[in-house]
Amino acid sequence: MSASPKPPPRNPNKPFYFNTSEHLLRIGRQKACTLDELVRGVETCPDDAIFQHTFRTLQEHHFIKQGFSNDFASWTLSALNEPMLAEQLASVDVREFTAIEGLRRRMVEMIGDFLHGNPKSASRSGSEPFYFSASELVVLPTNFSAGTLRGFLDGINQVSVHSIHHHFIEARLRLRRMSNDFSTWLEEEAGLKEVGEAIERIDIYTNTLEGVRLQIARIISEAIN
Amino acid sequence: MSSEQQPHVPGSSLASAPPSKEEPNAAAPVRRDRRASDRTLPASLLTPPVPPPPPHLDDYRSIVGQSQIDTLRFLARELKGKAIKMVNSTAVGGGVAEMLNRMVPLLSEMEVPTHWDVITGGNDFFEVTKAFHNALHGSAYELTRSAEDIFLMYNEQNRHRMRFEEEMVVIHDPQPLPLIRSRQDARGHWVWRCHIDLSNPDARVWAFLKPFIEQYDAAIFSAQSFARQLAAPQYLFYPCIDPLSEKNKELSEEQIQKVCEEFGIDRSRPIVTQVSRFDRLKDPVGVVHAYKLARKYVDCQLVLAGGGATDDPEGAAVLQDVKEAAGDDPDIIILNLPPWCAFEINALQRASTVIVQKSLKEGFGLTVTEALWKGKPTIASAVGGIPNQIIHNLTGVLVHSVEGCAFQIRYLLTHPELARTIGINGREQAKENFLITANVKRWLLLFRILDQAKARRRTA
Repeated sequence: MSASPKPPPRNPNKPFYFNTSEHLLRIGRQKACTLDELVRGVETCPDDAIFQHTFRTLQEHHFIKQGFSNDFASWTLSALNEPMLAEQLASVDVREFTAIEGLRRRMVEMIGDFLHGNPKSASRSGSEPFYFSASELVVLPTNFSAGTLRGFLDGINQVSVHSIHHHFIEARLRLRRMSNDFSTWLEEEAGLKEVGEAIERIDIYTNTLEGVRLQIARIISEAIN
Repeated sequence: MSSEQQPHVPGSSLASAPPSKEEPNAAAPVRRDRRASDRTLPASLLTPPVPPPPPHLDDYRSIVGQSQIDTLRFLARELKGKAIKMVNSTAVGGGVAEMLNRMVPLLSEMEVPTHWDVITGGNDFFEVTKAFHNALHGSAYELTRSAEDIFLMYNEQNRHRMRFEEEMVVIHDPQPLPLIRSRQDARGHWVWRCHIDLSNPDARVWAFLKPFIEQYDAAIFSAQSFARQLAAPQYLFYPCIDPLSEKNKELSEEQIQKVCEEFGIDRSRPIVTQVSRFDRLKDPVGVVHAYKLARKYVDCQLVLAGGGATDDPEGAAVLQDVKEAAGDDPDIIILNLPPWCAFEINALQRASTVIVQKSLKEGFGLTVTEALWKGKPTIASAVGGIPNQIIHNLTGVLVHSVEGCAFQIRYLLTHPELARTIGINGREQAKENFLITANVKRWLLLFRILDQAKARRRTA
């Protein structure tokens, strides 16, 4: 029996409005010279500092495909030369979290576990301090909105990578669920659940944000053509 | 030293013979028989060129993309008609004036009217402020009552001369700090933009200036490590370059070739370049030593291009040291250029295979940003603000010694694919963070954030 042809996707019920977020870096009052100080800082710094050093720094370095994950991992390697802990911290995927608190706890646990096994590393000074910073965020509209899937694809292709980051990565903190604005809209407004799931599976740590954009566009293009 | 053995120094001794056409050879250094003779700078470089008109916002579209231009316009829309005043201490010369020359028209073009005022003062004022500048950088200084009086008197004169009716007043650097006394009500935001490194200031000068700084609504620094503990929020603004300026605009292959020919640089062989004033803190002698260590393994030429040796006795002494360190190596090309040679510097950077910035102390190295923007693999010392500009092994290479610098020169010259990737990443890093459009965005963001904070305070 031959498979029945795929039904054409339905027209979306509501348009998708592409927004973007821009950030200003606020210099914090805390700094850390050792792992002990780092873990205390991670425990006590404001949420927008955790956001800056994880979500936001990923956006700032969106053009690097390999070797950059978050500021805590970078500093642990470059200033403290602790490659094992650096690898562990770098493995934390910000998209596994829908709230900053969970991300903060994971980082604290990782550093704590490492120090439990390597107590001598706790007070060893790094070659340079870690400066805690925070991100002040302003959400802005863009010139793009889409009432059709074709228009949605055009928007994906033309908005800035900051807009891709806003909808695809930061969205979890807004939605408070393991999804993103693109997948949510495709599922809820166009009935394209599988397409949304395929987009959600894109690996942001082995791609640049331009690469992520291309993959999203390819998945949508295949679904509507 | 015979004339044919001297390194090339325009204005004193520059090789006039055409460059050789030998093929590059990474394994063995190539010696060229180049006859040097006294030669002055090309006639075109003897007088400053007429500056071109400042670019418009849309001129940056092809560089940063339409979406980034749209973002700036959306940000400016809510601020439409609200004015900014920028105040600094010099209208020409120096990085701040250069940046304001470009920034002010762009903000005004987006209907955020931006005015630029320059404070005035006698020689005694600028002697005091120069001493303050050095003291804030950590030099020893005996602060006297007389110096305080001179500083305050000229600021009072300027304060009475100037009006502060704008919605955001930005004071650049310490010289005009006491203008904050004109802040009579909560009408405008007052922001202090500090372009210098305050990590290790002279205690007395800091104690004298801090009460003024504490009255500002926000302070801006060029690196986290330059900041101090202050009551007001502090923000990070990277110093920026203009990709459309003479120093950074795209050049044709012919333009680059012509400049190299004028300076006797052989483009068929690898070129390692440092662009910097002849200043001990830029360690040009260290660069010569690093080059000589690298040359045991790879063929390359060294270009040291900069100025400061004509009008500064210390610069002349450093230049002499560099010439002595260079010895009779005809592949070391030393260029003492006048300050208006931005186009030539641009061409030299673009002709380079690797760019070095081996500073011993540095604020935020604009020459590093220029190199990154040109997609050149960049080796720089891990000092001052440079670690904010380069992520080691990803967007450039950080070094801590002459030996480390030499090794990285060898490594990048013999691993062109890695060098290319680092160069591409470095350019993206510059595009994302260090272009003038990024700083226009930061000013607009700050203005909106301060507006929002004030609105919240009123509601509370």
